[in-house]
Amino acid sequence: MSNRLSRILTTIFVLAVVLLPIYWLVSTSLKSNREITQEGTLYPHVPTLDNYVRLFTEKQFGSYLTNSLVVTFFSVAIALIVGAMGAYAIARFRLPFAAERKVGLFLLTLRIIPPVVILIPVYLLMLSLGLLDSWLGLIATYTAFNVTFCVWMMESFFREIPVDLEEAAMVDGDSRFGAFRRITLPLAAPGLAATAIFAVLVTFNEFLFALALTATPRAMTMPRGTATLIGRIDTDWASMAAAGVIGALPIVFFALLVQRHLVRGLTMGAVK
Amino acid sequence: MPSGTQARKYRLQGAGLDLALPYLMLAPGLTIVLGVLVYPLWDGLRASTRAYRYGSPISNVGFQNYVQLWSDAQFLNALWVTVKFVALSVSFEAVLGFALALFCLHEFRGIRLLRTVLIIPMVITPVVVAIVFRLIYASDAGMLTALSKATGGGEVQILGNPLNAFIGLVALDVWEWTPLMFLILLAGLQSLPHEPFEAARVDGAGAWRVFADLTFPMMRPVLAVAIVLRTIDAFGTFDQVFVLTRGGPGEATRLISIYGYDTAFKFQQTGYAAALFVTIGLVVLALAFSAIRLLRRVDAS
Repeated sequence: MSNRLSRILTTIFVLAVVLLPIYWLVSTSLKSNREITQEGTLYPHVPTLDNYVRLFTEKQFGSYLTNSLVVTFFSVAIALIVGAMGAYAIARFRLPFAAERKVGLFLLTLRIIPPVVILIPVYLLMLSLGLLDSWLGLIATYTAFNVTFCVWMMESFFREIPVDLEEAAMVDGDSRFGAFRRITLPLAAPGLAATAIFAVLVTFNEFLFALALTATPRAMTMPRGTATLIGRIDTDWASMAAAGVIGALPIVFFALLVQRHLVRGLTMGAVK
Repeated sequence: MPSGTQARKYRLQGAGLDLALPYLMLAPGLTIVLGVLVYPLWDGLRASTRAYRYGSPISNVGFQNYVQLWSDAQFLNALWVTVKFVALSVSFEAVLGFALALFCLHEFRGIRLLRTVLIIPMVITPVVVAIVFRLIYASDAGMLTALSKATGGGEVQILGNPLNAFIGLVALDVWEWTPLMFLILLAGLQSLPHEPFEAARVDGAGAWRVFADLTFPMMRPVLAVAIVLRTIDAFGTFDQVFVLTRGGPGEATRLISIYGYDTAFKFQQTGYAAALFVTIGLVVLALAFSAIRLLRRVDAS
């Protein structure tokens, strides 16, 4: 059937376009610099893991990894807790001056402004607080970005959960906060997971603020550290490729693991 | 915007802690946002009206930084490059993403694999995406050169040539973000009602008619949202260019974000750079809000 054949061919073509660049990254990371520049081979003839070893022994990739994990974990965790409470307050309570609607719009506006717009003042702020090149400076910045996003996402999840369930719990003697914690929060768990996954992706990949706010392996995150590698030794293609693989691997693995949440969270926000 | 479902709200009643609860719940989040986003935004506005030396303000210059922007050839060039980059990338992504979404609408063997693989480019760290494309474009070590040599050709020049470098940057963006467009549009297609399509089939309408008279008009709002989202994001593109070309060769790929960054951190013109970024922020906000208004009108009609 020609219809079926064209489907198969299209699928193969799309897969090739997506996967070929990734193949080239991985394959380059397994070659020596000599093989890369002088022989220009299409696959590693003498595969080696030296490039990876070099990253960790000579180029402090371990610290970049640690910094990324610490910064991502804390900024996402804090933003989730703080954001869930804020979103709940907006979704469930009447505030004076109809502020519950305005806060949402306000956060959305902050979300739309390109991050680069506040780069300079955030840099000046961290400079004056003495938080340049520290975990705390990065965590504070990323938490703020994540809070706007978490409140916006979670508000709609809380709205979808019927109020009656909380009221029932409160009739049974639970406090309002208790009903939120024991009834509403667990019911919103899938939404919270989708939000968290998204926040992790964005935070782990962030580069601009890491570039401006960090300067040494003490606080540099993985994207930031990888970029440093490129600037310093422009022709060390092998190290660059290996760094690329290690930089991409955890997040791709994570994304594929949680892809159902990922697609749902992403499209839910966009289509609504 | 809040969805149509009308959520009942508690009236504030009782006293003490219960009355204060919503404020207590909002306070931590708002404190962080006010401290780390809103205060800096305000500070950025102030900084944009000042002249600096070595990172310290030396004098107030009012709106002079803003005026100066419009006679700054490098700024105007960066703006033009950015507009070209955004328009080209987003158009390609919309067309390719829509085509892919239509292609994947019907279940067939391999579609799951396709969808899984398509997630990869958009989740890979942008810095790594740039590395991947440097490894493709590099004239000595690149994939294009290797392929060309394997078939008897010579070195391929991409990043050394202004036009090629710009096209190369657009290609990178299309590779990275067409999947996002695809996912949003696929979700939109899947949520369309079935009845009109069945009626059309009964009437014997051809594939093109169905697309032009049903699919496309019904998909317009979703398509518009996807395009607006991508446009806003593309305006702020930084990481990929910073690693791929640093804005070169010459000014061929120097997007507005790169020019602003260099102005602030390389040339230490903090106030001028702040004015530049405030201007860009206003442009993007204006774009976003006029798009939202336009969408509401489309929705209402």
